[in-house]
Amino acid sequence: MEYKNVTGCIYDIQGYAVHDGPGIRTTVYTKGCPLRCLWCHSPESQHQEFELGYLPVKCIGADICQNACINACPEKAITRGEPVEATDKPGLMQKAKIDRSRCTNCLKCTEVCITKALYSSGWETTVDEVYERVMKDRGFFQNGGGITISGGEAMAQFAFTYNLAKKLKDSGIHICLDTSGYAATELYAKILPYIDLFLYDIKHMDSLMHKKLTGVGNELILKNARFLAEHKAALQIRVPVIPRLNDKETNLRQTAEFCVTLGSAVKLVQLLPYHKTGRTKYDRLGWRYKLPHLEPPDDDFMHKVLELFQSYGLNCQLH
Amino acid sequence: MTTTFMSKFDLPISERIKALKEKRERINKDMRLNFERNRIITEYYKNHEKEYPILKRAGFLYEWCATREINIDDDDIFLGDGGPRCRTVHFDIEQTSQTWIRSCFGDTDERFRAAWQVPGSVWVDDEDRQWILEAADYWKDKDIAATARGLFPPEFFERMGPFVEHLAGSYPGHFNPNYERAVTVGFGAVRRTALEKLEEIRKHTTADNVRSELFYRAIIKVCDGMILMSKRYAEACRKKAETAPTPERRAELLRMADSCDWIIENPARNLWEALQTMLFYQYLLIADGTHWADSPGLIDSFLGPILENDLKNGTLTPEQAQELFDAYLLQVGNQIIMFPKPTNDQLIEAHENGKTFFDLQGGAQNIAAGSLITIGGQKADGSGDYNLATEMMLLSYYRLRVAEPSLALRINKHTPDRIWELAIACSIRSGGMPQFNNDDVIIQTMLDKGVPLEDARRYAIFGCVEPAVSGKEWSMAANCGGFGGGASLVDILQYVIYGNVNPMTGAKGMLPCKKLYEYESFEELQAEFERQIKHYLDYQARLYHFAALVFNHEWPCLSASVMTEGCIESGKDVTWGGAKYNGMGSMFSAVGSVADSLMTIKKLCFDDKTVSTKELYDALCANWEGYELLRQRILNEVPFYGNDLDEPDAIMQWFTNFYADYYNSRPGVNNGTNNCGALDLYWVAAGKRAWATPDGRKAGEPLSHSSDPRQSAVKNGPLAYVKSVAKLPWDKMRCGGAINVRLDANSVRSEDAISKVRKLIEAYFAMGGIQFHFTVADTEVLRAAQKNPEDYKDLIVRIAGFSAYFTHLPFDMQEDYINRVELGV
Repeated sequence: MEYKNVTGCIYDIQGYAVHDGPGIRTTVYTKGCPLRCLWCHSPESQHQEFELGYLPVKCIGADICQNACINACPEKAITRGEPVEATDKPGLMQKAKIDRSRCTNCLKCTEVCITKALYSSGWETTVDEVYERVMKDRGFFQNGGGITISGGEAMAQFAFTYNLAKKLKDSGIHICLDTSGYAATELYAKILPYIDLFLYDIKHMDSLMHKKLTGVGNELILKNARFLAEHKAALQIRVPVIPRLNDKETNLRQTAEFCVTLGSAVKLVQLLPYHKTGRTKYDRLGWRYKLPHLEPPDDDFMHKVLELFQSYGLNCQLH
Repeated sequence: MTTTFMSKFDLPISERIKALKEKRERINKDMRLNFERNRIITEYYKNHEKEYPILKRAGFLYEWCATREINIDDDDIFLGDGGPRCRTVHFDIEQTSQTWIRSCFGDTDERFRAAWQVPGSVWVDDEDRQWILEAADYWKDKDIAATARGLFPPEFFERMGPFVEHLAGSYPGHFNPNYERAVTVGFGAVRRTALEKLEEIRKHTTADNVRSELFYRAIIKVCDGMILMSKRYAEACRKKAETAPTPERRAELLRMADSCDWIIENPARNLWEALQTMLFYQYLLIADGTHWADSPGLIDSFLGPILENDLKNGTLTPEQAQELFDAYLLQVGNQIIMFPKPTNDQLIEAHENGKTFFDLQGGAQNIAAGSLITIGGQKADGSGDYNLATEMMLLSYYRLRVAEPSLALRINKHTPDRIWELAIACSIRSGGMPQFNNDDVIIQTMLDKGVPLEDARRYAIFGCVEPAVSGKEWSMAANCGGFGGGASLVDILQYVIYGNVNPMTGAKGMLPCKKLYEYESFEELQAEFERQIKHYLDYQARLYHFAALVFNHEWPCLSASVMTEGCIESGKDVTWGGAKYNGMGSMFSAVGSVADSLMTIKKLCFDDKTVSTKELYDALCANWEGYELLRQRILNEVPFYGNDLDEPDAIMQWFTNFYADYYNSRPGVNNGTNNCGALDLYWVAAGKRAWATPDGRKAGEPLSHSSDPRQSAVKNGPLAYVKSVAKLPWDKMRCGGAINVRLDANSVRSEDAISKVRKLIEAYFAMGGIQFHFTVADTEVLRAAQKNPEDYKDLIVRIAGFSAYFTHLPFDMQEDYINRVELGV
């Protein structure tokens, strides 16, 4: 089969992904994204290359594993940390400490870490392998569930995403594509027949602001949205509501107006309040979170936003 | 956690209901034991020593009805209580351990007072203390344990020591009383039938029916007692009406009096009368023997038409009806059985730490006398059985947030969307109420037991998860009822590993066997495991049959027999095998711990051969001390049950099938069926009694819960978890068993959450699962509740077959719950 050996880089596959489209879904998360949204809650999704992730809570201390990671590191980037209280018995333990300035993400340490406290932020896989895995969940997909291909930006690994969607479609699975809209229009044209529903983000209507917040302008994104609408795609527009960054009334109104212009292609507009759950993921990669002081919007405000969108006759929900 | 989509169910509760809830809170801090019932039985038995056991029992019940104190509180919507006042704690002296009585009440004055006379906790008068010590002397060689001593074979005592008396020394309970007959037929009609049968026997007395004559005389006596009790309540209402504070209350009391003159003897005429009849009958059941978990089955089925009639003829508004359901639930929940019975040490320690007797009762499993109400389902002809009463019951649970009694909802293709929606919203809000039951598979398990289709369709759940034909089956669940002795498979696993001994307790098993390092192959070890299961179940069967004989011989259960279908018809008490159907449950548990342990042995020692059986054995004996690297390898490298992986799931399927097939195929008590199930209430306690296991668990740590995978073993996410559990042979679990799912609060935030949870349940059922319980709870909220219990009094979580107020759970169970796998992203 043509897609048998098509490879891709992914960082997770999750069942019961209740926020990624209708019904019970299993979501495949691909690695690599052309955008750099300030509020990004999946930092491990940004680069297609694998990085070293570290979850200190899983480290059992260098005494027990006999310096496994320290010995494995060719760059001498890992040392014994300060003694801390051991978790499973009285006494002290020394967990691994990573000098990120020396680390080259060679990931040799992840191969020897028994507890997977040191892990790779993703793995390379094939369409077939992913297909086998997600099809195990098929029993849950009845009544409107299915597979969501998300990212990162799934369109950035087009061959992989395209072939996976095609293969799943052949098996009669409902497929959502969660996309930023930032990819060449002809690629959307090509994948369109295999996608039942696009989960499509609109982050800001002003291109300059969009560039400030995400690193890229919005022209291509808006163009692709219009293209998909004109070609009878089904769209679920997702609007992240980020306090101070895109929640001004004018922007919200322009966003709603834009959704209206897309006509009947828009099945639903979901309003996604900013949340902080991604913060700890930055620590695992040794990165800095860019919005440390930002708080989620309160319920009252979100209900006002909902009413505003509803006043345009759009089918909306808070998510 | 009220989200917008749920607020539509959030109707305000009435002032009267609020007052009843507050009354309960007050009494929780001022508990009294029910000595009255115990005085009446002791007095009666003393004076009628030679009376035949079933007549003696009937005589006592009549006496109880005729002389018990009757109180009506100012705000009561429903009358009375199982004891002399609201929420008295029930215990039965004839099934209470002598050792316990003497150690509590025969203790020094100072310690007695520090345990039992603490305002704000529990109070036992000096007079009651004196009385119970004397009564204990009387019962010493006459109680249920004494009967057991008189007929148990010596091997029971050799193997189990004094514990054997505890096993046989309590009423089995755990069944669905026939409330429908009590409400729609009444005690008067039952009495008439008994009288007719009695006349027939008098004409043609034979060896076969002579004992039945005694049975019918006893039944008539019980019916007379119940009718009298109802009329005594009528009298009390009239008296109370004289001093009623308002004309409205006066009118209400007179109406109640009129009803009490009518009901019990005659079929109920309206909703209030129906619910009051059920409560009077429940009081009788509790007074007879503390039937842990007598469970009202399919009550919406007969209450629905009565309710709709009231609404149609304008005697009741929907708001009033809802208030009646609210009050009924609170009243059922007020019945409380003392279990476990606390020692003075425990009470004194609790009091020193600012805790109360009520806290020690450990959550909802003891309150509401373990009752569980089943609603929904199918009529005998297979059509759906849902009505306005189904909906109002669910709404009451939603509004009241009560953890007791438990609620079970039957699900089938007829279940209306509105019921689905309400039930899921209710479960999100009320911590796992209701549990969801899969008609398709459960009805099939009934058919497999030999129950005809029309009766199979009328099953209800009793206790925690156990299905039985409602009102027609004398059912017992071994794990939780008096008979005791569900199997912790970990006990058997330990014998197989450590050579017939539990290193933690030093207890020897029944069948000498090899140690882990002596097995040549995994197959040999499996064969030993099977041999041990068989031997255990054979022994258990002997225990059950002898325990049943104890009750058959001297301790009939007339409160059940008076209504249970089959008894009046056959002239036999339930303990003589009179019920139309008979069942005996055996529950296994710790499925995850056992599956993962066996998988570890298979993979490391026999397949990969990377660790020798001797090394693993040594590591286990050392409780992993010095073997942490090996333990970590096991935890991280062995494929475990709960991840939809073929190999560990196949091991789980092997031993659960083996257990179920062997147990289900044996003849049961009273010539009924044996019913295997998967449930455990004591996995934390059982873990404390178990030494290290090959799955990486250290000695004393909790075991896995019921049929669930081990918490730390679940790595492939929620769908894999659910799929693995669905692979159990649920079609053989005639005594039930549930998947317990804790959903992350985030996953039910959005508006389509209800439909997603529904799809998850439907998918699990389509895969063959029979029961689904879920709770939504944030770890942060649970932690906060541990710190400030007063602010989280309403927080309910689903534990095993029951839900409980989180803050009432013992600390180790709270921790275990917090560590449970959280599903959702």
